[in-house]
Amino acid sequence: MLSLWKWFQERLGWTSIQQTLLERKIPKPGRWAWAYTLGSATLVVFLIQVLTGMLLGMNYSPSPDHAYDSIRYIMTQVPLGGFLRGLHKWGATAMIVLMLLHLMRVYVMASYKRPRELTWIVGIFLLLASFGLGFTGYLLPWDQKAYWATAVGTNIAAQAPFLGEWIAKVLKGGEEMGALTLSRFYAFHVLILPTFLALLIGGHLFLVIYHGISAPPSPKGQPEGDYKKLKEEGKSFYPHSVFKDMVMAVLVIGVLFFLSIHFGADLEDPADPTDSTYNPRPEWYFLFLFQALKLFPGSLEAVAAVVLPTVLILVLILLPFLDRGEKRHPLARPFWMAGGMLAFGFIAYLSYQGWKSPLVNPTIEKNPFVLEGQRIYSQLHCAHCHSIRGEGGGVGPDLAIAVSKRSDEWLANHFRKPREVSPGSLMPELHLLEDEIQSLIAYLREKSGGGIPLQAMKVFEENCRSCHRLHGKGEEVGPDLSQVGNYRKAEWILRYLRDPRSVNPEAAMPGFETLLTKEDLEGLAHFLANQRGQ
Amino acid sequence: MDRRDFLHLSTSGLGLLIGASLFAPAAAYFLSPAWKKKPEDWIFLGDIHKIPVDRPTKVEFVQRHKDGWTTIEEKKSAWVISKDGKAFTVFDPRCTHLGCPYRWDEGRGEFLCPCHNAVFSKEGEVLSGPPPRPLDRYAVKVEAGKLWVLPALKKD
Ligand code: FES
Repeated sequence: MLSLWKWFQERLGWTSIQQTLLERKIPKPGRWAWAYTLGSATLVVFLIQVLTGMLLGMNYSPSPDHAYDSIRYIMTQVPLGGFLRGLHKWGATAMIVLMLLHLMRVYVMASYKRPRELTWIVGIFLLLASFGLGFTGYLLPWDQKAYWATAVGTNIAAQAPFLGEWIAKVLKGGEEMGALTLSRFYAFHVLILPTFLALLIGGHLFLVIYHGISAPPSPKGQPEGDYKKLKEEGKSFYPHSVFKDMVMAVLVIGVLFFLSIHFGADLEDPADPTDSTYNPRPEWYFLFLFQALKLFPGSLEAVAAVVLPTVLILVLILLPFLDRGEKRHPLARPFWMAGGMLAFGFIAYLSYQGWKSPLVNPTIEKNPFVLEGQRIYSQLHCAHCHSIRGEGGGVGPDLAIAVSKRSDEWLANHFRKPREVSPGSLMPELHLLEDEIQSLIAYLREKSGGGIPLQAMKVFEENCRSCHRLHGKGEEVGPDLSQVGNYRKAEWILRYLRDPRSVNPEAAMPGFETLLTKEDLEGLAHFLANQRGQ
Repeated sequence: MDRRDFLHLSTSGLGLLIGASLFAPAAAYFLSPAWKKKPEDWIFLGDIHKIPVDRPTKVEFVQRHKDGWTTIEEKKSAWVISKDGKAFTVFDPRCTHLGCPYRWDEGRGEFLCPCHNAVFSKEGEVLSGPPPRPLDRYAVKVEAGKLWVLPALKKD
C-alpha cells in the first residue's frame, strides 16, 4: 500500500506540489479570516452544479415537445430527482450570492491592486459567465416562467444599438423563440459556458497561487506592509486555511440541502405563448435590470437595457486601473467606498422594488390534469370531429354539452370502449392509459364550465340572478359576473359567498353560508371561477 | 533572417492559419440565424360576424410552421378590434416594450402590460409606461365575410 502511494508520489512530483501548493505560506488574515473562504466556497458550489447538472442531463430532453415533460418526469418519477433539481436550482442562487460576497470582500480590501489586476478581471468574467449560465439554464424547463423570462431577456438584447436585432436572432436561433432557441440555450448551458467557466477558474486559481493571496490592508494611515515579509510570517495553507474552507463548505452544503429539501425547485405550467394572464418575472439577480427598465421611457430604453449594464461591467473590469495607488484600507479610499456603496445600494433598491412590484395580472391556478388533458385533446385531434362551445368539427356531439350530462364513471368507460357504451357511435377506440383518461375528463369538465354546471347554474338562477348579470341575463344591482374567473380564484369566491364582509367590509351582499348547502356553495364558486368572459 | 526567426514566424503563421480555418466556419455556423428570414402566410382568423363590435377580443389561432427540424402547429393569438364590424384592426399580442403578453381590462377600457406596467388605449396608443411605440398591427384582409391576417411585424 505504502509503496503504491510512494509510486504515485514520485510520478506526480508530489514534493513540489506539496511545497508550492499545500505548504505555501498565507499572510495572517486577522479578523478577515472567514471572508477569505468565500472564493473557495464558490468553487465548491460550482462543483456541485457540475455534478447535479450531469445527473439532470441524463433525464432531460432539450426540445420543446419534451423538455417540460422530462423535467416533470425528473420531479415526480426519478428517485431523488426533485432533490437534485432543487440542489441545482439553489446552487445557482448560492453561487451568485457567494460570488458577489467574494467580490465585495475583494472590493473593500482593494485586493485588486497591483499585482493582482488580472486576477480581478478574470473574476469579473467568471461572474459574467455565471450570469450567462443562470440566464440560459432558466429557459430549459420550458415552463411559463422560463418562456417569458427568456422572451423578455432576448428582447432586452434586441435593444442594443445597431446590432441589437442581430444579437437577438443569434441568441434565439431565428426570428421566433422555438426549438432552435432551446437547443441553442442548452448548448450554451451545458457545453459552452461550463467550458469557459472551467478555463477561467483554472486561470483565476493559477493567478491566486502565483501572486499569493493578498494580505489584509494595513490600518488607515499606515503604509502597506511588505508582502514578502507578511507571507513569511503567515501560516501554511494546509491545514490552517483549508480547515476554514472546509467548515465553510460544510455550512454552504448544509444550507443547500436544507433549501432544496424544504423549498425544492418549482415547475410552473408548460410554456404557453398565447397566455395573456401571465406575470413574467426574471430570476432575482436580474430583477434590478427588469425594474430599471420601468424608469426609462420609450426612446431611452437602450440606456437602461444596454448602456448602463455595459458601463457597470466596464467600470468593474477597469477598476484596478481607475483606483490606483498604494492605499488599500477602505477608509483611506473614501471615493471608491462611497461609489461602491451607492451602486450596491441602488442595485439592491431596484431589486427590492422589482421583487415586490405588484402583479398586474390575476394569478389563475391551473390544474395539472387539465393541462395534460388539453395536450391529449390536441394530440388525438379530437377537434376534427368534436367541438367545444362551437369550436371544432361537427361529426360528434359538442363536448361542452355532452360532458355536463354524464358522470365521470360513464365518461371513463366511454373512453375505454366507446362503441360498447354508446352502440352505433362512430368514435374509434383510443387505447388511452388510465391517467390519460382522467386528464381528458378533467380537461373536458373544465371546458364545460366546472364540475357540476347544471346544478350550479340552477343555484345561480335561484339565488344570484336577481342581483347579478351573467352573459347578458340578470339584473344589475351587483357587478356583472361574466368575467369574474379572470380575476378571482374559486377559493376566493367561496369565501366571499360564505361571508362577503370577511373579504370586503363594505359588501352589500348577504352571506350564503347558511342558505345553501356546502356542495352547492362549492359548485357555485367553481362555476363562477370558470366564467372567463366571451 | 536566421533559421530561428524563420521557424518562429512560420510557427505563428501556421497557428494563425489553423485558428482562422476553424474560427471562420464556426462563426458562420453560429451566426447563421441572423440571416434567416421567416416565411409568412395569411392565416384565417374567423368569421367577421363572430367578432364582437367595439370590444377588443383575443382570438386564438393555430399556425403551422417549421421550427428547426420539426413542423409544429403553434397556438398563437392576436387582439382583434372593430368599431363597426366591417373594418378590423389586429394587434400583435406582445407588448411593444419587451414582448410581455398584455391583456384587455374591461373595467378600465385599456390594455395593461404586467411587466413594466404599460397602459395602451383601445387604439393601441401608449398611454403610460416605457413602450417606445404603439401596439404593432398585423396586415388584415376581409374576404367573403372571413377575416385573414398576416401575423408578422412589418419591419420598416
Ligand atoms: S414588456 Fe410591457 S411594459 Fe415592459
